[in-house]
Amino acid sequence: MSYVGSRVRPIDWEARTRGETRFAADLTSPQHLYAAVLRSPHPYAEIVALDVSRAERLPGVRAVITTADFPEGITYLHRGAPLSDRPPLAAGVVRHVGQEVAAVAADTPEEARAALRAIRVRYRVRPAPLTPRDALADGARRLHQRVTDEANVAFRLDATWGDVETGGRAGTTVVEGDYVYPSVSHVCMEPNTTLAAWDEASGTVELWTSTQAPWFIAKEVSHLLGIPHDAVICREVAVGGGFGSKSKASEHEVLAAALSRKAGLPVLLELSREEEFGSNKPRHRFETHLRTSADEHGTLRLFDADVLVDNGSYSHMGTSVMRVGMITLGSMYRPDGARFTSRLVDTATQPGGQFRGYGTPQVSLAVESQVDELALRLGLDPLEMRLRNLGPENETTLCGYDVTTSRLGDCLVAVREGLDWDARKTAVATGAAGGSSSRGLGVAAGMHGSGAYAYEFANRSDAAIDLFADGHVRVRHGSADAGTGQNTILAQIAADELGVDLADVEVLSMDSERTPFELGAWSSRGTHMTGSSVGQAARELGDQLRALAEDKLGGGPVTLRDGRAVAPTGEVDLGDLVGLSDAAEGDVLSHETSYVLEGTEMISTGKDRFNLSPTYAYAAHGALVDVDRRTGKVTVLDYVAAHDVGRAINPTAVEGQIAGGAAMGLGAALGEELVREGGRVVNPTYLHYAMPRSADLPSIRPVIVNAEDPAGPYGAKSVGEMSIVPPGAAVANAVRDAVGVRITELPITPDKVVTALAEQEGRRRHHGLWRRPGRWWVALLRALYPYGLHHVLHHWGTRLGRGVGPAGHRPPAPPEVLRPGNLDAVVAAVADGAQPIGGGTDALVERERQSRPAPVLVSTIGVPAMRRIRSEDGALLVGAAVSLAELEEALPPELAFVADAVRSIASPQIRNSATVGGNLAQEKRCWFFRNGFSCYKRNGVTSPCYAVTGDHRFQHAVIDGHRCQAVTPSDLGTVLQALDAEVVLQRGQTTRRLPLADLYDGPGELALADGEIVQHVVVPVPTSGRRGSFRKLALYQGDFATASATVTASVDDDGTWHDVRLVLGAMAPTPWRATATERALEGTTPTVAGVRRLLDRELDRHAHPLPGNGWKLDAVAGLVEHAVEDLLAQ
Amino acid sequence: MSALRRRTDAPATAAAATPLVTLVVNGRSVEAPASRPLARVLRDDLDLTATKVACGRGECGACTVLVDGRPTMSCVTAAGLVRGPVETLEALADEATDLREEFADAGAFQCGFCTPGQLVHATALARRADELVGGDDLPGAVRARMSGNICRCTGYQAITASVCAVLERRAAGATSGPSCGHADPEEAAS
Repeated sequence: MSYVGSRVRPIDWEARTRGETRFAADLTSPQHLYAAVLRSPHPYAEIVALDVSRAERLPGVRAVITTADFPEGITYLHRGAPLSDRPPLAAGVVRHVGQEVAAVAADTPEEARAALRAIRVRYRVRPAPLTPRDALADGARRLHQRVTDEANVAFRLDATWGDVETGGRAGTTVVEGDYVYPSVSHVCMEPNTTLAAWDEASGTVELWTSTQAPWFIAKEVSHLLGIPHDAVICREVAVGGGFGSKSKASEHEVLAAALSRKAGLPVLLELSREEEFGSNKPRHRFETHLRTSADEHGTLRLFDADVLVDNGSYSHMGTSVMRVGMITLGSMYRPDGARFTSRLVDTATQPGGQFRGYGTPQVSLAVESQVDELALRLGLDPLEMRLRNLGPENETTLCGYDVTTSRLGDCLVAVREGLDWDARKTAVATGAAGGSSSRGLGVAAGMHGSGAYAYEFANRSDAAIDLFADGHVRVRHGSADAGTGQNTILAQIAADELGVDLADVEVLSMDSERTPFELGAWSSRGTHMTGSSVGQAARELGDQLRALAEDKLGGGPVTLRDGRAVAPTGEVDLGDLVGLSDAAEGDVLSHETSYVLEGTEMISTGKDRFNLSPTYAYAAHGALVDVDRRTGKVTVLDYVAAHDVGRAINPTAVEGQIAGGAAMGLGAALGEELVREGGRVVNPTYLHYAMPRSADLPSIRPVIVNAEDPAGPYGAKSVGEMSIVPPGAAVANAVRDAVGVRITELPITPDKVVTALAEQEGRRRHHGLWRRPGRWWVALLRALYPYGLHHVLHHWGTRLGRGVGPAGHRPPAPPEVLRPGNLDAVVAAVADGAQPIGGGTDALVERERQSRPAPVLVSTIGVPAMRRIRSEDGALLVGAAVSLAELEEALPPELAFVADAVRSIASPQIRNSATVGGNLAQEKRCWFFRNGFSCYKRNGVTSPCYAVTGDHRFQHAVIDGHRCQAVTPSDLGTVLQALDAEVVLQRGQTTRRLPLADLYDGPGELALADGEIVQHVVVPVPTSGRRGSFRKLALYQGDFATASATVTASVDDDGTWHDVRLVLGAMAPTPWRATATERALEGTTPTVAGVRRLLDRELDRHAHPLPGNGWKLDAVAGLVEHAVEDLLAQ
Repeated sequence: MSALRRRTDAPATAAAATPLVTLVVNGRSVEAPASRPLARVLRDDLDLTATKVACGRGECGACTVLVDGRPTMSCVTAAGLVRGPVETLEALADEATDLREEFADAGAFQCGFCTPGQLVHATALARRADELVGGDDLPGAVRARMSGNICRCTGYQAITASVCAVLERRAAGATSGPSCGHADPEEAAS
């Protein structure tokens, strides 16, 4: 059989699915120290003094390194001079929050982290620009001396391609606009990890490091350590995702190596998730101003762009990311001309890096949005418009690409058929979706290379094949399989070329000593470059074997199949040929070869058009979305991703790349964005970084448009990067189609949609603050924040106060964790000062940020009486230690809406551990507070509330916010108030009963006396006739509510409502009852519109939103509309 | 290298002060400090490294193990709060053979870092296959239940399809059944 083209399992599936595959942090050998990195807390500061002597003296500390441990003035090579600008550890200046300042190796991770606190750094903080616009403003601090003549412009690229004059004249319909693709994180599941082992005798260092490109790691580490390239020896280890981020150094490898050299012992450096989000190099943010014109036939005539690319604080691959992005204007379509100016702008934020798609998704968002807008103006179907503008095959594009085959047209047709485009378009046009939800269809196309000639030798790949005397084969290549399936397709290729069983092929990758030269798995080069070199090596080895067999068997022709060489005169096992070769060494015959690509051009100065790649991949993606006009929530219902990949070497792996890339693109389209405040990332956790969970995504349907490209290998093109390019515009176009608003800045979160719809409908809210003196003080403070108050509180006020996280130079003592078996013991422990907890899932995380965490934690989960749910007098008595999962299972049908609320909380795993009491008592919701900002609530009254001027769109209060804008996160605390639930509290032997509404006296703050605990919750079970509904708007499945609404009412047979409860969550510091609306509804027969009118009036009267979260009022009113509809339908 | 403390040598430094609790891990009794996160007990003390730690905050599911049969985030579960026997992928791999094969056939893992957590969770679901299969939207139900297990590589497409296929086969008691990766989008929306 032919393995190439077949759906074979990953060759290492057995080990990977048994959990036996070792990633760097799983290695137990060699034994090692643990490292931790001290990072800058400031976006820009001079380092006045750096003293590590106290840290060095601490017990357990084996090495501390600073810039003094590296040659003076040395920087990462990256793209080469003049843009090599980043030192391995800060040299006198820090230029972004998170920049590495020093690093420690110690016996335990706790000792290493504690030692960081013993390092004394005196910073002189300086203002510096945090956005490209600020960086280009007059008087902005220059972050570096650059060679361009504009301040803070690291690199500028201008070009004019084709016939701009003609295009300008002929393009009679013009659209123009600004588009923003945000900074998003790769979020590889494996954090960057390196185990380094220095060998003093040989002056070499071995690295087990999570990388896509061992060669580049060796290049940077050897340069920075001042040792030869081959003294850095990478070893094979599993890599948990790369997506481009690991195609160059991730700035921790050399720290591990330098620490190992200094300590004389192996060192493991494993970055935390917060470091991954907050310090590593995300996608470059692009601000694209684009003007596109077309003629009356729908033919594109001219692209004219002015682009700002946020470089961040240091230059990594920004120059080529920007270049590849701009190429979008001259690659896929065939306008008469394209013209652009693009600037790579330095800002004091985390630097951008390499990310799947490499600039193309950013510019594609603008191009593909405008193609749709032009289609709309010209009255053309957007899919048809693209079909009219396809670039031709076997021709050179405006940007200089020599295109071989292109099946983009077939991809578009596949989308049309797959989505039932024409029929659905008609249905959408006639409003078939109906109600508050609108549906829309969107399409976007894309193009990407298969490898890029970006460096010297990037047109070369070497590979080796070993044949062993027992007949098994080993492929050796110097690249790395970070999850793309590369090792499997290489094995497929070798098996085919040598006619052996796939099970008899193993693959060795990454190893610097045992694999030949290869630059690595980046720029979609895996399939073309390494696939070609392995194929060539196997073919050439096959030639040797055929010759040996012909000699032995006395004639030919010889074919290789089933592990044997077969001639008309006889056959022989391949392994038996090893001993017959003069080239064999022992029981192995090896062959190494070098594949050199012809016909591509290396990026060089003085030119602006290059044929970078041997072959180009294409794709068209189509999305069917549902837009909830009430809440702004966009849901992708169906998604077809059709790809021209040439021939798929392993269709299952190709479909995996398509679906995975599309999902990642959908994440950026709908939720993902690194949000910063003062240059510091405020959402460096999975909790706050809204990436898609399983339930957030539709069924993504990959379509492989089968083709064959002569450039090969085996007819194949690339696939891994292509799939992330179209989703942004496909979704934006579908949203435009659904509700008529064009969102030009990703992610398309509910705030943007609701705000645009309000504008479209001419809705505005008036809160009449002038006649609400109770709000004047808060309004004044908020008004003063941007005029210096924030600055003063941030720079000076935060120096006072409790602090954040543990203090002291020794590891904090772990808490004593008690789980007594009876209530009296719990109460006694709490009376002695222990912190009561349930499953501890919130408390254990939260204590990391506390300056004085409780030394004793006492859990209620060991108390049988607190783990029971009993029925009594028409109510459920729910013990505080009942888990959320147990609660959900125990709820009767009358409380189905409570079960809905429970199911929306966190994840099933958390619901299995987290308790009812713990949920009610969990810490406030605010990404500044939870992520360790020295804020008003965390640090004390002299500190600012970062939400006032920071990003408060989703999490913060719109009603009753005072100095703190946080809200109570508990969905249970909200939904149960609509049932008039009560809590029973216990202190000593005394119990008291409190309405749940009175439990909270602040955001996530309980009105408990010292030593008091929540014993159980009394949940009245509604009698027949009482109805309820819970609705929640969240950024992903399991997120805290951005807004929630619970409505309950007793409904008479004639439809009259009584005892209405309307409780809003995440709107105010504590769950908020719309009591005026409740009263007004008493005894009426409500309509959805009527409730909305009443509620809007009440919200307008009470709300005091921050500048960016007023939209939540519309969203929560929309949720109430949904809930009322539910009640009317029950 | 006597200076190095790693894995089986000793638990965390200061943890010695906290009381030890006894856990049953994969059928074996082990002692651990009550405050120590279960994931560290598994990985560092017992060298059960199938369980991964990707966030340390109970937010991603890479550390999922079964406690008393229920999927649990081991990174935020203190050893002292473990309420039953612990099962990790090392002990579940044989039981999950059909899931593992389906994962391999469907492309349900790429880098494989989240895979142990996905498989552990799926194993718990597969034990309840009879209960889960028969609803009107099995893929939707599987997606909801697996939403605590983040995957960055696959887009969840193949994971969902694999788990559905195995659940249906287990429920039918047969060795093959229809795949159900693609929900009807119109249905899913309603």
